[in-house]
Amino acid sequence: MNLLPTEEQQQIVDMVRGFLAGNAPLERLRPDKFGQIGNPDAALWPKMAELGILGLGVPEDGGGLGLSAVEETLTYIEFGRALVSIGVLGATLGAHLAARDAPDVAAAIMGGSTAVGLATPRGAVEHSDGRFSGEFHLIEADEAEFVLLLTSEAIALFRNEDFTDRSARLSMDSHMRLMRARLDDGKALGWSSVTEGVDHARANLLIAAYATGLAEAALAGAVDYAKVREQFGKPIGSFQAIKHKCADMAIAAEVASCQVSFASVILAKDSEESRFHALAARIVAVDAALKNGATGIQVHGAIGFTAEVEAHLFVKRAHLIDFIGGDQRVQKAQFIGADAVM
Amino acid sequence: MNLDYTAEDELFRAEAREWLDANVPREVRPPDGPGMRDFDLGWQRKQFEGGWAGVSWPVEYGGRGLSLTHQLIWYEEYAKAGGPNAELLFVGCNHAAPTIMARGSDEQKSYHLPRILSGEVAWCQGFSEPNNGSDLGGLKCRAEIVGDELVVNGSKIWTSSAHLADWQELLVRTDPAAPKHKGISWVICDMQTPGIELRPILIMTAPGHHHFNQVFYTDVRISLSNVVGEVNDGWKVAMSTLGFERGTAGMLENIRYGAVVERLVDMARQRLGTSALENDDIGQRLAQLRAEVTAVRAMTYRIASRAAIAPPGSEASLARAFFSQLQQRIRRIALDIIGPDSIELPDDDPWIRPYLRTYSNTIAAGTSEIQRNIIGERVLGLPR
Ligand SMILES: Cc1cc2nc3c(=O)[nH]c(=O)nc-3n(C[C@H](O)[C@H](O)[C@H](O)COP(=O)(O)OP(=O)(O)OC[C@H]3O[C@@H](n4cnc5c(N)ncnc54)[C@H](O)[C@@H]3O)c2cc1C
Repeated sequence: MNLLPTEEQQQIVDMVRGFLAGNAPLERLRPDKFGQIGNPDAALWPKMAELGILGLGVPEDGGGLGLSAVEETLTYIEFGRALVSIGVLGATLGAHLAARDAPDVAAAIMGGSTAVGLATPRGAVEHSDGRFSGEFHLIEADEAEFVLLLTSEAIALFRNEDFTDRSARLSMDSHMRLMRARLDDGKALGWSSVTEGVDHARANLLIAAYATGLAEAALAGAVDYAKVREQFGKPIGSFQAIKHKCADMAIAAEVASCQVSFASVILAKDSEESRFHALAARIVAVDAALKNGATGIQVHGAIGFTAEVEAHLFVKRAHLIDFIGGDQRVQKAQFIGADAVM
Repeated sequence: MNLDYTAEDELFRAEAREWLDANVPREVRPPDGPGMRDFDLGWQRKQFEGGWAGVSWPVEYGGRGLSLTHQLIWYEEYAKAGGPNAELLFVGCNHAAPTIMARGSDEQKSYHLPRILSGEVAWCQGFSEPNNGSDLGGLKCRAEIVGDELVVNGSKIWTSSAHLADWQELLVRTDPAAPKHKGISWVICDMQTPGIELRPILIMTAPGHHHFNQVFYTDVRISLSNVVGEVNDGWKVAMSTLGFERGTAGMLENIRYGAVVERLVDMARQRLGTSALENDDIGQRLAQLRAEVTAVRAMTYRIASRAAIAPPGSEASLARAFFSQLQQRIRRIALDIIGPDSIELPDDDPWIRPYLRTYSNTIAAGTSEIQRNIIGERVLGLPR
């Protein structure tokens, strides 16, 4: 038993962290002088594909690197820390689904030549045997060829054109492109339900890992600022009102990170307990991201309320990912109904 | 990362389970008094005779010398088997013994360690004073060196089970002129020494519940050979024990709380119905608690993983601060599930006394505010 990354796992983290520091610094998300914002991350996919990151956890015979959910999870923590477009989740999960049923699609996704958007329900979803109908939000789907749908019951891959009645919306998380659309008896290219295999649990686990990264980055930003901003002749971090807020953020991030690691090891073993542990991870990690995102703004004072520092981005991204496949309310209703795992 | 156990680990687990199933006491543990002392020491003796008392204690001190992973497996099986919360053993096994192992003389080791392990004696902790709780370093209980003895005058307070203990780990000021952390000594005190008097202090959980005491020392003579570590080096000696308490010593409790939450889930399902529960406020809160207590187990595993490399440091405060407040929220929700009858305090009450007891969790062994100072300053590097 060991819940710390191995040397090889740490090398992967360092590699991804180094790549993102060079290619996706947080400053890329600051508005230009016209206040214009758009998502600059589409250019990342081919580069990430080159490093094998998009097919990291896909089995080798499916064209991926064949690493486990543990490594995948560690990279997603880094994606969250760098606020990489959540479209990456469409790519990873889409590649997993396609690798079984549509190898050419999987190859295109892992090669970074085509993007995968995300779809998440706006209301009830009708579903029988791989056919889905309902109203959805599409996230980061503008230039995507495929769309990955996550509901609380299933995970499914579609062609983007299967979605109709599209109308663009500005997102609260304004770096993410958003639209409304519907599916009428749309037939999935590949899908699986929450009760079979680990595809659905992997979605919750990676959302949890991404949320952990958000919580960690919000904490790091707050702590850095609390060390240098001075009032009353002292760094604000010396005031307990601020110090204890930072301590609470550190606790929340640690809780999330531990459960995410634990769940990743369980999922890597294809264990039946995957669903339980991934749900637990999602609940504590999204909670941490929402809380730390909010507290991070408060620690910064007025500058935290501006678009000139990153503090506001974490809580917005946290709200967005909260709704992917059902928000905390939905996840908790599922989790309390699940059988105990002791 | 892995959660794999070797064949040898699994064998150990199976043996532990078998022994616990056959030996965990079935009678109810008395909440206080000599009956509780007999219960706890008797249980310790039984574990000792079965070879399970000191799983991770070094062999030379009578333990099995096994790894922290084995200790964790033992705790998991202990919690599953419903092993008792034998609190009276805590200070001896988890404070005094590790301190004496780390800093004690050969004579102190060979006298005290076997007696602690075999359940012959109970220990208590004399650290806090009426005017020094969080500010422990400013403690005033005076010990003058007279010949080869210390002469102790002063008072300690909140000393849990002082009325049931044979020995006390006692912090005294041996050099009032030195800077505050440099004039303290860590002393082994025999509770039968003349000059020690106790004032029982009743606690808030139920009428007449005597848990801790104020202890008065009037010209109490203790041999200098009972000082652990050097005279005036007691602060460092004490800190090694507190580090231990914040790190690995809490593991059993962390694991035990998973079962508490599952009992609450069962109770809530029975009272509210499974499907109603999913969208009820209680169900939502319980789901959150269930996720959090699941994460506590993961935190425990990470602490054990780290402890295999280095002794627990300040980062152990993250888990401790989280867990002490989580326990409060877990015990609190029991009242909402029980409803109006939760204002009753029946004799065989499994929920209300434990709920009231959790008010102490964020106070004892370093308040949650002090834990946050530690996290802020020593984990995050924020200025004092
Ligand atoms: C059930 C129980 C059992 C105990 N058993 C023992 C025992 O066996 N032996 C023993 O020696 N002690 C024991 N204690 C005592 C315990 O260690 C102290 O209560 C604890 O250290 C706090 O000290 P205090 O009670 O004097 O509170 P104080 O230090 O007076 O604190 C009062 C309040 O002020 C806050 N505060 C104090 N300083 C700061 C600061 N710097 N920053 C922010 N907030 C601050 C505290 O967090 C707290 O909320 C026990 C306590 C309890 C509740």
